[in-house]
Amino acid sequence: MERAYLREEAAARRKYRLALLGMLSALVLSALLSFWIGYYPLSPGDVVRAFLARFGVESSMDKNAVTIFWNIRLPRILSAVFIGASLSLAGATYQGMFRNPLVSPDILGVSSGASLGAAIAILAGSPNWVVQLAAFVGGVLAVFMSYVISRKSPHSHTLSLVLTGSMVMALCNAGVTMIKYVADPNDVLQQITFWLMGSLTKTDTESFLWSGAPMALGMAVVLLLRWRLNVLTLDEEEARSLGVNVRRYRLIFIAASTLLSASAVCLGGLIGWVGLMVPHMARALVGADSGRLLPACAMLGGTYLVLMDDLARSLLSMELPIGVVTSIMGAPFFIYLILRRREG
Amino acid sequence: MLLEIEGLSGGYGSGDVVKDVSCSADAGEILCLVGPNGCGKTTLFRLLLGMLQQSAGSIRIDGRDTSALSQRELAQLVAYIPQYHTPVFSYTVLDVVMMGRAAHFSAFSAPRAADREAAFAALEKLHIAQLANKSYMSLSGGQRQMAIIARAICQSARLLVMDEPAANLDFANHQRLMDVAVELAARGYCVVMSTHAPEDPASIGSRVLLMRGGRVAAFGAPGEVITPENLERVYGIEMDVVTVRDRYGKERTICLPLSAAGTREG
Repeated sequence: MERAYLREEAAARRKYRLALLGMLSALVLSALLSFWIGYYPLSPGDVVRAFLARFGVESSMDKNAVTIFWNIRLPRILSAVFIGASLSLAGATYQGMFRNPLVSPDILGVSSGASLGAAIAILAGSPNWVVQLAAFVGGVLAVFMSYVISRKSPHSHTLSLVLTGSMVMALCNAGVTMIKYVADPNDVLQQITFWLMGSLTKTDTESFLWSGAPMALGMAVVLLLRWRLNVLTLDEEEARSLGVNVRRYRLIFIAASTLLSASAVCLGGLIGWVGLMVPHMARALVGADSGRLLPACAMLGGTYLVLMDDLARSLLSMELPIGVVTSIMGAPFFIYLILRRREG
Repeated sequence: MLLEIEGLSGGYGSGDVVKDVSCSADAGEILCLVGPNGCGKTTLFRLLLGMLQQSAGSIRIDGRDTSALSQRELAQLVAYIPQYHTPVFSYTVLDVVMMGRAAHFSAFSAPRAADREAAFAALEKLHIAQLANKSYMSLSGGQRQMAIIARAICQSARLLVMDEPAANLDFANHQRLMDVAVELAARGYCVVMSTHAPEDPASIGSRVLLMRGGRVAAFGAPGEVITPENLERVYGIEMDVVTVRDRYGKERTICLPLSAAGTREG
């Protein structure tokens, strides 16, 4: 047929819009149903009534239900959505920039730096908000160090970034081990260990708002600039010949991704594998074009972490750390990826 | 003249690799760069594409001095066609070609319908529009090279720079690529191409720049430049340049490097 390729392309665009709609519905639905899970199940009807109660619409509803809705479950579910979306966007951005689909958002040391920051704050006996702030600052500083040192290297920029990143990571991990070694095993060591596992138990409205703001900023930046990310997945000289200032955009993307993953870590601790897995699922659904990939990553990532948190809350009678759940899900997925790549 | 290079020198930190090179080419022409490994072809390309700063001389494209242009402005004048490669992510051919529009839409906006049309027009020009929705990874080497050329065309620059485009191609695809270069020149593009085969310019080139040690060994029409004497001087090996007629009566030039061992035994 004449011009079948034009029709195919239009069909691909329709398919993308449908997929996006599907992912959005999945996100909303899974978030709504998550209110149902826990000691005090809130049905979708309860959710609506509790929501309206805040705005003066009276109902026969239990006061406790309203409190649980606003103070416990809503911040927790929103945190899961934001953390999942942030880690996935950071993962997709890093994978694109480093031209390597097996890269995770930790590659420049953000999680290790955050762990060290949190461990120091816990050792000093700081309150929770200081621990979160220290984690954020630690994560940002680690990436900053990796970036600054890499600029001095004569090797290719991405290669030296990976090298300095792993160096900074090793250094921070050594620091965390040191602190664990000297920490009081009955109190501080326990706290540090729990923090490192990653958990959404401590999320409340205040901490969500504080970390949600930088996450929203990071998301806005990578989503607004997402079409430029395609060009960054090319060889540096090739990208420059297309008229793109590679170093400038790379710096912007690294800064935004660091903001995303550092604030995700500061809200939920170490939650691994999400930033690696979700971009792969999204690519399978909507293709590699960053213009389509990043919105899909944000929605799939949010849905994925909400579901993982549901599992963490309901799998056993006691709550599991969500970091453990995502690792149990992530490791087999990673092995699958490696095997599949070899076949292809 | 679309491309004017005058007294150009430049290189990496320690010293100039390209020394005092002057040449020019107009729209509708193909300029072939020929010379042995390490003669400065690649460095000359990097200077031309703004990847390296020249230490002396000037490059003018369409009358504009390129050293005064931003990366983005330069990309609207020159398009680079690297050797095809395997991308990490499985983009569709259309995705790859659309990347050529990066210098045309703002960083914050999605590619518009006009960009998509430009991409399809470029694919149609190269007769590969039916591949648009296929995965770039699934293409053969020759098709990938064509997709990269389509990307350069939709970049809307009139000067196309090809770095040994035929190096990884088989016999048949090599010839197809040369045909495409001729077709593009006929459509008003100026094609600058480096090549390892000194017979390429003889079959397609309107101008040849023969280089040796970073300097111009000869510059002019293929018939004047591709001579046994010039090639011997540049490559350091005896060469015969033979002209034959193909079955359609078209004159073809073949360069034959002569084996030193062969002459000893003979």
